[in-house]
Amino acid sequence: MSERVIETRNLTVYYGKHRGIKDVNLSVKQGEVFGFLGPNGAGKTTTQRVLMDVIRPTNGSASIFGRDCRKEGVAIRKRIGYLPGELSLYPNMKGHNFLNMLASLREKKVDRAYRQQLYERLNFDPTRKMKEYSQGNKQKIGIVAAFMGKPDLLILDEPTTGLDPLMQKIVMELVREARDDDRTVFFSSHILPEVQAVCDRVGIIRDGQLIKTERVESLIKRQYKRLYITLRQPPPTDAFAIEGVTEMGRNGQMVMLEVRQGLDKVLETAVAFGIKDIETPSVTLEDTFLAFYDRQNHGGNHAQSTQT
Amino acid sequence: MLNLLKHELQSRWGAIIGWGIGLALFGAMYIAIFPEVSEQMAALADLSIYQAMGMDLGSFEGFISSSVVLFIPIMLGIYAIITSTQTLAGEEDNGTLELILAMPLHRWQILSMKAIAIAVASFLILVIAGFGNALVLDAIKATVEVDVTPMQLFVAVLSGWPITMAFLMLGLLLGAYLPNRRSAALATTVIFIASYFGENLAGFVESLDAIKPLSLFYYFDSSATVFTEGVKAADVGLLLGVAVLFFGLALLGFQRRNVTVGAWPWQRSRITE
Repeated sequence: MSERVIETRNLTVYYGKHRGIKDVNLSVKQGEVFGFLGPNGAGKTTTQRVLMDVIRPTNGSASIFGRDCRKEGVAIRKRIGYLPGELSLYPNMKGHNFLNMLASLREKKVDRAYRQQLYERLNFDPTRKMKEYSQGNKQKIGIVAAFMGKPDLLILDEPTTGLDPLMQKIVMELVREARDDDRTVFFSSHILPEVQAVCDRVGIIRDGQLIKTERVESLIKRQYKRLYITLRQPPPTDAFAIEGVTEMGRNGQMVMLEVRQGLDKVLETAVAFGIKDIETPSVTLEDTFLAFYDRQNHGGNHAQSTQT
Repeated sequence: MLNLLKHELQSRWGAIIGWGIGLALFGAMYIAIFPEVSEQMAALADLSIYQAMGMDLGSFEGFISSSVVLFIPIMLGIYAIITSTQTLAGEEDNGTLELILAMPLHRWQILSMKAIAIAVASFLILVIAGFGNALVLDAIKATVEVDVTPMQLFVAVLSGWPITMAFLMLGLLLGAYLPNRRSAALATTVIFIASYFGENLAGFVESLDAIKPLSLFYYFDSSATVFTEGVKAADVGLLLGVAVLFFGLALLGFQRRNVTVGAWPWQRSRITE
């Protein structure tokens, strides 16, 4: 059984009266790439900052490598590479001086050849002052800083922010390579195709509460199916008013449905009007994520965290 | 940990050189003009305002102590306010502190290295300023008769370090508790000004004599006696003691607080033990 690298229990942070996160229970295993999804203000950054002991929990606990994030933060951080979401750098320092400084604060020696390799792969020139770098290049410094020590755990807050698509791809390659080395990656992102491409599991956080934790493929499969059914006879408008089925629209004889349950009833109804063609377009993580939020916003009750 | 100190010092070299040379030139100007203005200064010496402030402008010692020895720490106070509030609250405001906190260092180590760095930087500024002033004094000694030696002047300029330290650590302390750098800098500035003018005002009004010891400037001797009697060890000890106390309180606040939140202490997360 893989070691649990990150574990939180009823993790709660309040800023005065304002909610940061509430009762977040999550578990990330060794060698796993875990995507942390949620809109702005949902609590992603707060969770990551608690893991880094930048913010302290109001209630509950967080542990990494079996150690308490507050009490044994130094021992934990020896094994972590962290990329903050709001990366700020010293404007008058040169890129490589800054990275040298960070490397010198770690006990574990940074492999210079690997760091050079990161520069080359990210097409990054470390010899300039940081105030001269574009937003994308500043982000590259943060990425090199997080990855250069080959840490056992990477905590990355929106790692591809400000990067062009080519560089986004390279960062995702670095994430995959970390997983191939049996290292663990915990990252938040708004770019759902990249999460889908690289993550083993995702957690969805909303209003500070973790509402779903599941493997990416099963999350997509379980949420709903899309059926585009072309019928021989036009059905009445309420023909597919079936529980668990949402009619998304019509295009001539074609009826576009999202089916969460009651697939047999949908097919029975369709057969009654004569099926000419059925298409099942693939559902992406983005579709699932948006549908999830849409349902939550329309009174659905899915606030139970599901651990898989 | 020492690498963080190295980084903190390296990032301050420009300020050390700049402030050091600037204050050396400031002092040098006063020392150099004394032969020209000594008669006018002697005429001013009898004014009650200067007497109340303990200034003896008629002598070289009095003129230099009430200008160079007094105003170098006051100007260095500006540096103390800027640098101490930037060191913690400023780095939190602009976000650079978060990456340092992500390193395998205890918070006390981070704050200690930053405090040592600003203490060393302010000391080096005074060394440069004191050395520059001593050189100028040595140069003019041939043209004007003064009893102060370059070494005495150097020590007198360095005597501004304890009070600078007290305000440096006050800025660090307020930066550890207040929500942002601006409020920390404002509060430190108000205390600095109130301390200086409060002590002076108390010199004019006898009934306020009792509150004089509340001002940190009360323990900083900028009279001519600094040349004849030297720096008072008790005052140095008290100012450094206050600095240590402020640092300890800053450490306590920084150890317990949420960083990157930028709120007043009561608005931050309640921490469970």
